[in-house]
Amino acid sequence: MLVGIPLEHENSALEPKECAVEMSQYLVKVAETRCKASFARIFGYFAPRLRSYALKQLGNEALAMELVQDTMSNVWQKAHLFNSEKGSPSTWIFTIARNIRFDMLRKVQNRKEDICADDLWPVLCEQTPDQNETSLDEQITLEQIGHLFDELPEKQKVVIEAIYIDGKSQQEIADELDIPLGTVKSRTRLALQRLKGMLSEYD
Amino acid sequence: MIKFHPTPEHLEQFVEGTLSPVESLMISAHCDMCSHCQKKVDALTADLASNELHEAAESYDPDFDLMLANITQQPAAERPSKAVMPAKPATTIELDGKTFELPKSLQRLVKKKGNWSSLVGKLWQSPVDLGIDGVANFIYIEKGGTVPEHTHRGSEMTLVINGEFSDGLNDYDSGDLIYMTGEHTHAPRSDAPEGCLVFSVVDQPLHFTSGLARLLNPFSHLFFR
Repeated sequence: MLVGIPLEHENSALEPKECAVEMSQYLVKVAETRCKASFARIFGYFAPRLRSYALKQLGNEALAMELVQDTMSNVWQKAHLFNSEKGSPSTWIFTIARNIRFDMLRKVQNRKEDICADDLWPVLCEQTPDQNETSLDEQITLEQIGHLFDELPEKQKVVIEAIYIDGKSQQEIADELDIPLGTVKSRTRLALQRLKGMLSEYD
Repeated sequence: MIKFHPTPEHLEQFVEGTLSPVESLMISAHCDMCSHCQKKVDALTADLASNELHEAAESYDPDFDLMLANITQQPAAERPSKAVMPAKPATTIELDGKTFELPKSLQRLVKKKGNWSSLVGKLWQSPVDLGIDGVANFIYIEKGGTVPEHTHRGSEMTLVINGEFSDGLNDYDSGDLIYMTGEHTHAPRSDAPEGCLVFSVVDQPLHFTSGLARLLNPFSHLFFR
């Protein structure tokens, strides 16, 4: 419990600029030592202001409080991403709130665009790439293969598809297509040679 | 030299977060390439922040005490360690042996990009699925390539990623952000040795205005999609 940590109500009258230095120092303390007292100062100053912004933007008390909660949670958890050289604490915290609001409205309005706030204003991105991007190379290779595959002559394509996608044996294919087994084998070999050639051209 | 920038109103709405997502994406990508607009955005953001956070809600809500307690129960976000850092994602797209570095805001689109397909007259396009109304494409104009003269039923936004093109109205260079509406008729053409790569979003099919290209109109929903 947080008994004993006083909330600073009285400094609410300060202009954001006047307290920028002070708030920066609190943010650094939160980042370095998880200092709850410092966070309480930041919270006491910004939470009521964020709520006022959120109410104006969202026009709904519950959503407004959700916006405050999400914003301040991010401040607590990601204080290490604050960089005083890039801007003041109020600018940083405001951009976090603005981004959350953008994504909240996206959800509320059920918009289907695949564009979220992090893409537009990457304030909370670690300077390292996303985890889920690792599969990218693989995906592109598959796409490329799909593309190359489309360039195969129709007869070879049918055979390759039957073997590698449907998992049929060459004999089954020969029976199905009513062609000699030798023809299936040579089409397979030709197709693979061709794919191999096309792939090495890509490199 | 970048000559075509978003309007001040668009920059303001972008900073407020009230501009449409797709327009915001275009502006964000433009700012990646245009330090002039990036500085404006930074200044507008700082101003907006101090204005919006100037006023505190009148009474201190007792719910805040509980919220504060809850938040500080949460652990800090894990910082990614260098050891487990995943491979750097692709930041470029390739076509015909050429490699183009994308502005940061568009890099995520590399994995959403479809295959390149050839259009008429030295034009290539690769669709990007953004889930928007309308269509987004990377379009590459080879040297000497021309898009048939057309106008727009809706609006078209184009960001020049690499190269130069002209359209009978103006000359455009890398970083230029171009808005076109029904008032504009143009025929983009590139004479740059390296051709020109653009990212373009249209909300309605194009309407071709001249010569044989008019025959394309019944199919223009297929073309440029």
